[in-house]
Amino acid sequence: MITFASLKREWLANPRGDILAGIVVALALIPEAIGFSIIAGVDPRVGLYASFSIAVIISLVGGRPGMISAATAAIAVLILPLVRDYGVEYLFAATILMGVLQAIAGFLRLNLLMQYVSRSVITGFVNALAILIFMAQLPELTGVPLLTYILVAAGLAVIYLFPRLTRAVPSPLVAIVLLTVVAFYAGFDVRTVGDMGELPTAFPSFWPPDVPFTLETLKIIFPYSLTMAAVGLLESMMTAQIVDDLTDTPSDKQREMKGQGIANFVTGFFGGMGGCAMIGQSVINVKSGGSTRLSTFVSGVFLLFLLLVLGPVVAIIPMAALVAVMIMVSIGTFSWRSIRDIRHHPWQSSVVMLATVLITVWTHDLAQGVLAGVILSGLFFASKVKRLFTVATDLSADGRSRTYRIAGQVFFASSERFVDAFDFKEVLDRVVIDVSQAHFWDISAVGTLDKAILKFRREGIEVEVIGLNEASASMVDRFAIHDKPGAEAALGGH
Amino acid sequence: MQHILACIDASAYANSVCDLAAWASRRLQLPVELLHVVQRRDAVAARHDLSGAIGLGVKTNLMEELVQLEESDARLQVERGRVLLAAAKQRLQEGGVDQVRSLHRHGGIVETILEREADARVVVIGKRGAGHEFASDHIGSKIERVVRASDRPILIASRAVSEPGAIVFAFDASKSANRALERLVNSPLFTGLPVHIVMADSENAVHRQALDDAAGQLRDSHEVRTTLRQGKPETVIADIVDQTPGAMLMMGAYGHSPLRTLIVGSTTTAMIRTVHVPVLLVR
Repeated sequence: MITFASLKREWLANPRGDILAGIVVALALIPEAIGFSIIAGVDPRVGLYASFSIAVIISLVGGRPGMISAATAAIAVLILPLVRDYGVEYLFAATILMGVLQAIAGFLRLNLLMQYVSRSVITGFVNALAILIFMAQLPELTGVPLLTYILVAAGLAVIYLFPRLTRAVPSPLVAIVLLTVVAFYAGFDVRTVGDMGELPTAFPSFWPPDVPFTLETLKIIFPYSLTMAAVGLLESMMTAQIVDDLTDTPSDKQREMKGQGIANFVTGFFGGMGGCAMIGQSVINVKSGGSTRLSTFVSGVFLLFLLLVLGPVVAIIPMAALVAVMIMVSIGTFSWRSIRDIRHHPWQSSVVMLATVLITVWTHDLAQGVLAGVILSGLFFASKVKRLFTVATDLSADGRSRTYRIAGQVFFASSERFVDAFDFKEVLDRVVIDVSQAHFWDISAVGTLDKAILKFRREGIEVEVIGLNEASASMVDRFAIHDKPGAEAALGGH
Repeated sequence: MQHILACIDASAYANSVCDLAAWASRRLQLPVELLHVVQRRDAVAARHDLSGAIGLGVKTNLMEELVQLEESDARLQVERGRVLLAAAKQRLQEGGVDQVRSLHRHGGIVETILEREADARVVVIGKRGAGHEFASDHIGSKIERVVRASDRPILIASRAVSEPGAIVFAFDASKSANRALERLVNSPLFTGLPVHIVMADSENAVHRQALDDAAGQLRDSHEVRTTLRQGKPETVIADIVDQTPGAMLMMGAYGHSPLRTLIVGSTTTAMIRTVHVPVLLVR
């Protein structure tokens, strides 16, 4: 419910910190938005308009105050082929459709799917993202004069060393200003942002994209929109979690999903590329003291102001300065701890993480990497759980009857072990299978029990099954049993 | 079991809150629950690092730093809270209350009060919180939120209180004012206290009639005076409160929507701000 008090809390709890943080974020957004536009192969204008529009809209309709959303690398790396093959207007159409899909996902509460994305997959996602951002800088770093390398190195030095001097000014901005001034007045012949495409000179205009509204168009853009929507939501949900943790405040994930949808939908009409929440920028925002919607709003508005005022100056920024900033973003995004953790974590977690990274870098598609990671972690989980299965047997005194006591988890992955537990060649009159301590999770498990009973009967052995009701309760009650009180008691015995 | 919920913090109002809670407890024969909420300093807002640079493992480092900042501060707050609660408990016991339960919680002040008030007959709270020590003409931002969201009577303590010896009842014939009147008639909290019913409105038959009706309901149990005077409610009522020694102001609270309040301001808020005696708000 939106009340006066909640509005005040979400906007005006900390205006000084929020406005300052918003300005820092806006300054840091400029190089990133230009850099990501170049990654996507579009004019810097497209990324800058998108960043303005997404930041302002999400500050109004998002579910996670204090999180920064704008044009992002994750989306930029996806759309290069679309822009190359069909042109930028198709990108705008794809962005609009992406917004619609995200809003639908929000209504369907697909944020709950995040439960199945394990920590290892998330680590793989951010590492892959960092590698993709870095790889996107390589064209600017290969086959260029030595001067470029010197400028990039100087830029990085300023970014990392300047905060030791003062933390009152954003050091990436200082790096850009210094390099621009030096390169301009020394007359260095290096590539500048102006060489990369058109810069904004006016307010963005609201206009439907210039594409034919046909089924053919839909066929072209739909696969892109779907991936963009999925990747955008994934990164947004992850970033929301990070901001939740940093600020120790809750957020409304469903509202955030719908908000992302609205922001992208509108941004497509403004001639912007799709975007989502930004891990790096959100961390910068919190680090600078921003925690409410106001800081996100200020970052968007101040970004537009800077563009309109500084438009001509932006064109002479040397690309080397932007590359330095992008390398900083890449380094800041990468989870360096995960490399150290490879040795301590279970090997399955590391495999999941590495597989997510490799497949993402291979396909340049974060959605495919995450999907592979989720499937792999599911498989590893199943293979671990199937070991929670024991069989105890004892023969009756007269040697004519045997009791099998099955305990543990019986499902598709463990059904083979289940059958192997029985000795069908033993000559007996009667077999008792006590499954009251076992849980039959799916129909494969029940099918396997049926198969075992038939095999015994073929040998002329009478079979009695005890406790099947308890065992299959977990299947019959399907999803319900484990989230009711007393579930532990119902699943007792392990 | 019902009780009186007394909310204290490190402000100068803690003593008045205790005294009023003790008074109410003696009159209503109810135990007192002392509530102190530990408010963590928001570390995000406290530190200013505008460098905008993100280096190796910045997320983990920032998390670590924020946790550290808040951790030490929270420990200090908890210690202070314990001392505060102990002092308040002693003051209540000296004030003749036998059953005092202390409650020390983490969380938002408003949220915690709303959560704890379910069994409370009256909620006693200071006019301003510890964060507003010097802004003497404001009321604490938390009070308005508590009063709006709560459905219990709220007794707002002023800085210095003497035991209430008379009631000034601000009456405007509204729904919440009638509910306050009902309470005034029935509650043992007010037994034997003289009541002065004040209506700040134009002199006409309708208003006079409403005022007389209200006085009629109270006449059996209380000594009643009435005043009907044209003027701004805050000034009319503040005048009468000033003339009545040992007065406690009683009124219905926040009859209007927050939106209207935002534009024209709230009589309730203005009243709490201007009078320097305890105020009992009934929703």
